[in-house]
Amino acid sequence: MTALATVRDLTVTYRRDGSEVAALKSISLDIAAGERLAIIGESGSGKSTLALAIAGLLPASASIGGRIDWFLPSSQSAGAKAPPSVLPDISPSRGEIGSSTVGSSPTASVVGESRDKGTISPLEGEMSGRTEGGLVEREVRKSPFKQSYIPLPGRDIGFVFQDPSASLDPVMTIGKQIAEVARTHLGLTWLQAYAKARHLLERVRLPDPDSALQAFPHQLSGGQKQRVAIAAAIAAGPKLLIADEATSALDTIVQAEIVALIRRLVAEDGMTLLFISHDIALAAELAERIAVFRHGRLVELGTTAQIINAPSQAYTRALLDAHIGLDAKPLLNRAELQT
Amino acid sequence: MSLLTVSNLTKRYRRDKKAIAAIDDVSFHIDPGETLALAGPSGSGKSTIARLVLRLIEPDAGRIDFEGNDFLALSGAALRARRARLQMVFQDPLAAFNPRATVARVLDDPLRIHGIASRSERPRRVAELLERVGLTADLATRAIHEISGGQRQRVAIARAIATKPSLIVLDEAVSALDVSVRGQILDLLLDLQRQERIAYLFISHDLGVIRAIAHRVVLLDAGQVAESGDARTVIDAPQSAIGKALVAAVPRLNRIIRQDPT
Repeated sequence: MTALATVRDLTVTYRRDGSEVAALKSISLDIAAGERLAIIGESGSGKSTLALAIAGLLPASASIGGRIDWFLPSSQSAGAKAPPSVLPDISPSRGEIGSSTVGSSPTASVVGESRDKGTISPLEGEMSGRTEGGLVEREVRKSPFKQSYIPLPGRDIGFVFQDPSASLDPVMTIGKQIAEVARTHLGLTWLQAYAKARHLLERVRLPDPDSALQAFPHQLSGGQKQRVAIAAAIAAGPKLLIADEATSALDTIVQAEIVALIRRLVAEDGMTLLFISHDIALAAELAERIAVFRHGRLVELGTTAQIINAPSQAYTRALLDAHIGLDAKPLLNRAELQT
Repeated sequence: MSLLTVSNLTKRYRRDKKAIAAIDDVSFHIDPGETLALAGPSGSGKSTIARLVLRLIEPDAGRIDFEGNDFLALSGAALRARRARLQMVFQDPLAAFNPRATVARVLDDPLRIHGIASRSERPRRVAELLERVGLTADLATRAIHEISGGQRQRVAIARAIATKPSLIVLDEAVSALDVSVRGQILDLLLDLQRQERIAYLFISHDLGVIRAIAHRVVLLDAGQVAESGDARTVIDAPQSAIGKALVAAVPRLNRIIRQDPT
């Protein structure tokens, strides 16, 4: 197994009303290159926090410990040049750095680069800024660029959220929203980017891609909007696709279609998939490995067959038993109605 | 006699000067103490039917008989009185209640509005209701936004049963709950049905849950009844195209059940 990323002792704490809430507690796991890994858990398990941490999208109020190391192809890291002007869009929490980067040396174009041993941790970069203030962060930014690589959300990591209406700009055409990603991260002209967007709309099987390019999000159904969000997420050819409850707001039939679409796109593009879900059956259908989370801890991690048929932890068994499938024993005693 | 009979119900919405039928000639009935499930893809009209039955919206055609009366003909005091017998629980109780209200306030309202208990009697009745749904009486002083999602849905059920209804409309009432909590809420609903002979109109997209708790199911497609019958019979062998598509789309766990001596 070649790792795409290794997560070590990852701890994330949110500050809320003066008290600290640990959303993730010392999580260690490997994401294998090219695998479909499901992260499942109930509310408050930390599954979405893990997705955001891996994508580098945690809010500024989160304090982060541990590290995430990436093993991405070097060719990609060598060509990693994000136009400084787009930096504020990458992560709102880094807006300050982004704006100060404009016009500065290319070394600053990768934000929050690590300082040690050629390994990469966007989290460490962020931490220094948060714990010690902007001045220190600025110094970190100016430190010489090492042969290290930080994945850029949008380019190296595609992210699909639960609510496509919230991911898409309501007043921008579908075509522009997808083309913008391709233009920003692949350095295409608008013309090339629109051609790419049209091709992506075909790939996500949106009916009539030519009219869809000109359409606005509100003109599409929920399932179609999620297809557009997926097209935008993969527009820059990311190595990792993160789908966080991406089908939970959709009805069952559309959910099955979107899951099939994600499976096909991941296979065609050789992407690694991180599939976050509360639904253990859905995870089992799609993923090769399943990680079970509860209360911010990793309960167990195994192949789908291991987790489903031979779970080692009582909590996993409880989750499996709570699943009500089409073969579940009816809860209703049907004789009672006849009284 | 049926508790609720819906006959040839039609509801149209106007969009771009064209009338679109959200519900087209839908008929079904629910017996006392029975659970009838409504299932179908989004846009099939499930929630429109719920809102019509609750008279939150008025139909363009059709008839609803509830407890032997023409429900659509009721108005004013007679309608208010009858509404006590027809309650509802929605998917998100946080959206249904004032989040800053206390649990006691949420449960006190129906008792007061429907004149079920005197002011001095109400705190005791609130405590009883909490106990009925498996909550402790000390929860009464907590705010709705402070309690967990499962507790909140129990409070919503307590509020629904406060007026001693014969029918509760449950619109995706367990869909947002964690699976461990969902099982407990389903058990609670079945207990209440057993003890008080409450009928449920159970709207859900989850065929597994429907098969486990409903007596009968109506499958809807584009505002029309595609198929109906015994819940297990329909879901185990759907005949309609939409029924087959809905069943095929349910994620399967494909669990290899270990040998169990029992």
